[in-house]
Amino acid sequence: MRLRAYAAYIKITLKLTLRDRVVLFFNYLMPLLFFIAFGEGLGAGTSSGAMSQTVSMVLMFGVLGTGFFGGGIRATMDREAGILRRFKVAPISPAPLLVASLVTGWAVFLPSVFLFLSLARWRYGWDQPLNLASLLIVTSVGVLAFRSMGLIIASVVNSMQESQIIAQLLYMPMLLLSGAAVPLHIFPEWLQKLAQFLPATHLYLGTQGILVRGETAWDNRAAVGSMLLAMAAGLVISIKLFRWEKDEKVKPAAKLWLAGIMLPFVLIGAWEMHHRGNERKMRMLERQTRRSQSWLIRDARIFEGSGEWIERGGVLIRNGKIERVYRGTVPDPKEARAEGIEAGGRTLLPALVDSGVILAKPGEKEPPQGLEGVLSGYVYWGVGAIQVLPDPLGLAEKYRKKVDEGEVIGPEILPGAWVPPFSLAAAEAEGGDLSILKQDLARQFFSAGYLQGLAAQGAQRPKLPQAYGAAAARLREMWGRGELPAPAGAAAGWLGLQGPALLRELELWQKEGVPAQEILRAATSLAAARAGAGGRLGRVREGFDATLLLVEGDPLEDVRALGRIHTVIVRGERVARGELANQNKSSGK
Amino acid sequence: MATPAAIHASGLRKLYGDFEAVRGIDFEVAEGEIFGLLGPNGAGKTTTVEILEGLRQRSAGEVSVLGCDPEKETDAVKDRIGVALQSTNLPDKIKVYEAAELFAAFYTRSVDADALLRRLQLWEKRHAFYSTLSGGQKQRLALALALVNDPELVFLDEPTTGLDPQVRLEIHTLISRLREQRKTVLLTTHYIEEAERLCDRVAIIDEGRIVAMGAPRELQDRVLGHARVEVKTAAPMPEELPEAWREGVATVFSDGRKMLCASAEKPARIVVELVKWLEAAGIEIEDLHIRRPTLEDVFLELTGKSLRE
Repeated sequence: MRLRAYAAYIKITLKLTLRDRVVLFFNYLMPLLFFIAFGEGLGAGTSSGAMSQTVSMVLMFGVLGTGFFGGGIRATMDREAGILRRFKVAPISPAPLLVASLVTGWAVFLPSVFLFLSLARWRYGWDQPLNLASLLIVTSVGVLAFRSMGLIIASVVNSMQESQIIAQLLYMPMLLLSGAAVPLHIFPEWLQKLAQFLPATHLYLGTQGILVRGETAWDNRAAVGSMLLAMAAGLVISIKLFRWEKDEKVKPAAKLWLAGIMLPFVLIGAWEMHHRGNERKMRMLERQTRRSQSWLIRDARIFEGSGEWIERGGVLIRNGKIERVYRGTVPDPKEARAEGIEAGGRTLLPALVDSGVILAKPGEKEPPQGLEGVLSGYVYWGVGAIQVLPDPLGLAEKYRKKVDEGEVIGPEILPGAWVPPFSLAAAEAEGGDLSILKQDLARQFFSAGYLQGLAAQGAQRPKLPQAYGAAAARLREMWGRGELPAPAGAAAGWLGLQGPALLRELELWQKEGVPAQEILRAATSLAAARAGAGGRLGRVREGFDATLLLVEGDPLEDVRALGRIHTVIVRGERVARGELANQNKSSGK
Repeated sequence: MATPAAIHASGLRKLYGDFEAVRGIDFEVAEGEIFGLLGPNGAGKTTTVEILEGLRQRSAGEVSVLGCDPEKETDAVKDRIGVALQSTNLPDKIKVYEAAELFAAFYTRSVDADALLRRLQLWEKRHAFYSTLSGGQKQRLALALALVNDPELVFLDEPTTGLDPQVRLEIHTLISRLREQRKTVLLTTHYIEEAERLCDRVAIIDEGRIVAMGAPRELQDRVLGHARVEVKTAAPMPEELPEAWREGVATVFSDGRKMLCASAEKPARIVVELVKWLEAAGIEIEDLHIRRPTLEDVFLELTGKSLRE
């Protein structure tokens, strides 16, 4: 008998819901309009990350709308209209009515997941691998949790108006602070912290994690668990507070029950405060979105990396990889569903590889401060990958993961410590020539105070005037044998300059008679191959990582052209160079 | 005791804060009886009925419905009774047959929904949305839903309020059929004719108390005991009254002796004498009728106020 009541009530609620145009509007039409607006107008079509974000966003609209408006306001309306009163005389508890509301909300929502996924895939060519089961689990749990929150609203409000107000009061802030509608980092810190206590934030991060980072429901178990708890608490509380008639009033003490549903989120929020997992995850998601932007570089002179040149061509980048290399005519960016970068005849080449980087000076026991700034410095100067010299503190391992996952922006940290035979730039500095500190290249990224500090330090160091001559002789000898090493600028050692050291190294090589083309090859394809990444890095080739450098002038004539950087792209992300320089300068370096 | 009472209430009280809506009510409804609670709005009828239905808790008194305490064995009572509430609604977009099927699923027993809809003349409307039904159709549906579990006891709270007279008659016919099915019915109304026409017994309620109880005819007789003859003539009636009227007949003239209201135990005899008397005086009769005392009169007599505001 009981089960029959549940089944009958669920069946009729579903039917009634499907007959209700308002429900269809809020569940499908409104999210669809947003979806199309973002897909067509705001460029989500040129970036699979932005597309994922759009999918997440419209799903959030659906979940929150179904929960607060579908669940909360509907139930209040039925009570006001005297409909619930009719059910009160039947021998049933409120449970079938509430369960039916949950099930209906879920059943009506679910098709929208498929609708938006298919639209993204077929209309906008969204091609991220998808863990559908996990996505369904997380969004389903989300709908049920928010729906039960809606039911509690219905239980405690005394009028339709009140329920509208409360639903709006919860809907807007939750949507805004979840990160779904606008990025969370634009808000003041205290609001970002508050967001960690809101269920919508966890749902959004879970959805995004699955869509963008290939996470599973299990990876998001804290969020799933807290939403399940919220659903259970919501159901129990709304049964407890259920009112069949509008003239039954809520006892003020009963409103305390509301605290129950917030408890899981207070707990998860407190844990997040401590653990800061979400903060990291948000940075990763943002980076992932940037990496997945599609780019079409047009009208470029391309140095392929191994010595081959394309006089005029282009490159299509999708999801962090080089999808196509064009010779001659390049299609229109719109056709290629990508954002265009007009190279205007500039030179495109693989980003440089620095084969000898010191992250911590010998003898240091603690990791140095500001390593993240150091890493961001490399990509600022177009260094797309580095190899770390012996590293007793294990920093390479630690930061490789952070860079790969996108928590930190930096060059790819290639495995294996390879000690390069020499560095002209380092030898020059040991000899007391610190002209490198006065270069524009250094001044663009470092603060004047920091550079002056280095100069003062250098003045006090013992000078080794013979060092440069010995290193140069070694280079000439190797070049004579046709065995160029991979260049290692940052072995400039104590100076710790990143890009400028490598660029100075290349410049000195040219000065010592190595042809520019050989130098470019050594700093790209050769260095990548030596580090075991020759199959995906160091060349402008289809299927290779989109880690590229676009420079003014002709580096084939003068390698100093490598310092006149127009654009750096690392794993598909167009590096915001100005932003990185500002961050570094304001940190005092 | 032949059959146990379907409803038994004694000393029933209900307080809402300081306001006492029901102030000690005692009555019994026998099985198979149609019992009416008659009283103006706010007399405490609906509160009484809702306590019996298990929807409200009483403040004091003893109540038994079908042998159960509706406050303690609420679901057991609800499962065996049928209720048509005053001012309820169904969702706009529910179809008639869907409502019947839905409610049938809530009960242990249920009747064949198709037969029920036919019986209540809703068969043609079975695919119509609730919002498209007329007032009478909605009320018939309410009645159908009250009968969907083949209840032993049916509560009808103001079943015809707000309906036009024609539709009211239809509903009365349907309720009369419940008598044929030997169902016990508790009906509340503030329509006198309804109580007179349908009920075996009536309790008149005012301000939370029962002021009179009995069969409608019995109540009428007890209160007034007399029928009235009213006559209207074209010219003023003679000063001299008929011989036979000297005793046992009360007369009131009005409208310049062109209206006469006479009351007596045997109205038929008065009429004969009246007609002879007027004929002898050569006065033309414009209108003449006999009126039995109504529950309205009973109510007026007992409470000093009118049922209809």
